[in-house]
Amino acid sequence: MKHSDDLTHLAECASCRQRFTGNVVAFDAARRNREEEFTAAAARLERERDASTDIAARYLRDTPADEWARLAEMPELRNNAALEQMSEEVRKRLHRKPREALAIANLSASIAESLPPSQYPPVVLAQLRANAWKDRASTLRYLARYDEAIEAAERAEESLSSFATLEHDRAIARLVKGMALAQQERFDEAHAVLSECRRVFRDHDDIKRYVQAGLAEANTLYRATRHAQSESLLHDLLHDAVEAGDLESQARIHNNLGFCATHLGDYARANIHFSEAVAKFTDLGFTSEVPRTERGAGLVLIARGQIATGLARLRQARRTFAEYGMIEEAGLCALSIAAVLVERGDLTEARQLTRTVVDEFTAAGLDERAIAAVAELCEAIDVDNATAETVRTVHAFVEKIRDLSW
Amino acid sequence: MFEASPMAHEAAHEPLPPAPPPCVIDEEQFAHLYEKNVDVLIAIAIRKFQVPAVDAEALAHEVFMSYLKRKDDIRDLHKWLLGAICNASRYYWRQHGRNIEQLDTELAAERPDPASQNIVEIMASRIAAGEALAGLSPRYQHILRLRYFEGYSINEIAEHLGVTAKYTQKLVTRCLRRAEEVFNASEPRKQK
Repeated sequence: MKHSDDLTHLAECASCRQRFTGNVVAFDAARRNREEEFTAAAARLERERDASTDIAARYLRDTPADEWARLAEMPELRNNAALEQMSEEVRKRLHRKPREALAIANLSASIAESLPPSQYPPVVLAQLRANAWKDRASTLRYLARYDEAIEAAERAEESLSSFATLEHDRAIARLVKGMALAQQERFDEAHAVLSECRRVFRDHDDIKRYVQAGLAEANTLYRATRHAQSESLLHDLLHDAVEAGDLESQARIHNNLGFCATHLGDYARANIHFSEAVAKFTDLGFTSEVPRTERGAGLVLIARGQIATGLARLRQARRTFAEYGMIEEAGLCALSIAAVLVERGDLTEARQLTRTVVDEFTAAGLDERAIAAVAELCEAIDVDNATAETVRTVHAFVEKIRDLSW
Repeated sequence: MFEASPMAHEAAHEPLPPAPPPCVIDEEQFAHLYEKNVDVLIAIAIRKFQVPAVDAEALAHEVFMSYLKRKDDIRDLHKWLLGAICNASRYYWRQHGRNIEQLDTELAAERPDPASQNIVEIMASRIAAGEALAGLSPRYQHILRLRYFEGYSINEIAEHLGVTAKYTQKLVTRCLRRAEEVFNASEPRKQK
């Protein structure tokens, strides 16, 4: 091993750290005081974590959701440990119950902002406030309220702005902001933010978030139709995800590489990447991600004119969704297939397929408006009065109803 | 046709945090962690970034305080601490109106980097290299300066230039070849 003052080497070599340190600063009384402040804060945070096990989940369970705001007054919830638990509750609900997640994030922000400055050292206080705002930003982004999400992420940044040492926390907040900017199609701003976040995560050896920021950055490049750059970044990320043994990220990267390869016209490579993604999600037991990947692959292949391969992927996705009892998703796949069939003039199969969807939705007791829309589509196909656009409109309507019911 | 929602698999949420270890409050353990690492953080802020000693101490202390909230996320403590102090030092200078990292020449002379031990012997080559560098285009000079003078990695340069790492590697090789050509071309002139 070659010894040097290189930072990467210093992180790994104890003897070089010792040599490098020399006697730069003597260990005096002021430093002793700082050390005591650190250990006291550490002990306090650990004690609180120990004493508050499950406290947030219990309060949230025992209080009706529309009364959660009043929990801000509960003394047991007005500490760092409870706020950390609330952050976890936000994460758990983000996908299935984003409105509940938002209510909890609002509660966290309200508690964090009203904690007295004497309760924790200023750095810790800034971190817990920023985290609460970051959670609010995440949920707002999830609810497609992008302006508010960006505002909340900026509020998180503002909480951290007095502290030079909180670059890692800042990058976590800015990651959400970058994603929201990308969703607003402000690609250049998003790219700059996400690329800077990726650098900070790499510096802090936070590989999980490094890959997450990279995925978001690659997505931004892809949406800005910079497909080759997106692909190149994804290849680099794949290397990091393999090295870190992060199978979930590998699956997501393969999926996105499939999208890039499709747009770059390399359909054989796209199929390999999609299949890799499906295999990895299957290995992970992420059952719902498997048909979602198939569906995404099918749609993009069809959009690029690879009708046969795309339809095969969509049919496979539909079968798997149905197998898992995800009837709405299976029905949406069927409508995507029907749009292609109608466009090709294959009305018999389109009619049969939409009828099956009506039966499946009825048997599953889904929203009546969705059933009525598909039934009407079925009739329109019957009288040769449906176009692919009609099918797409019904698809969008059913999707909207599904999203509202979450 | 339906247009696919582009790249459905963007990371939609925060990664799952690792399961926290069972809570054991051991103040001595925290004190040990502080004592063992605080010096190197201060030294990095002072020697690598020229942060004044008093501010370097405050930054190092703040790094430890921020560690308390992040500790369950951290895979490698030393890498995280070093990443945190480097970024903190850069932020410090951004706030103080300077954004160029400078070497502390005085301290560097007192405790030379072992990687620079044979500097006298290689100085002549460096001067020649400097001359060759001067004969390159500004873009080539910039790339070689980033790579060999400021020590940026290929990936970092790629990010800076907004191109891929593979292409950056090719660029660096091309720059070196060009520098060699310039160097070789200047030799006969010198001999004349």
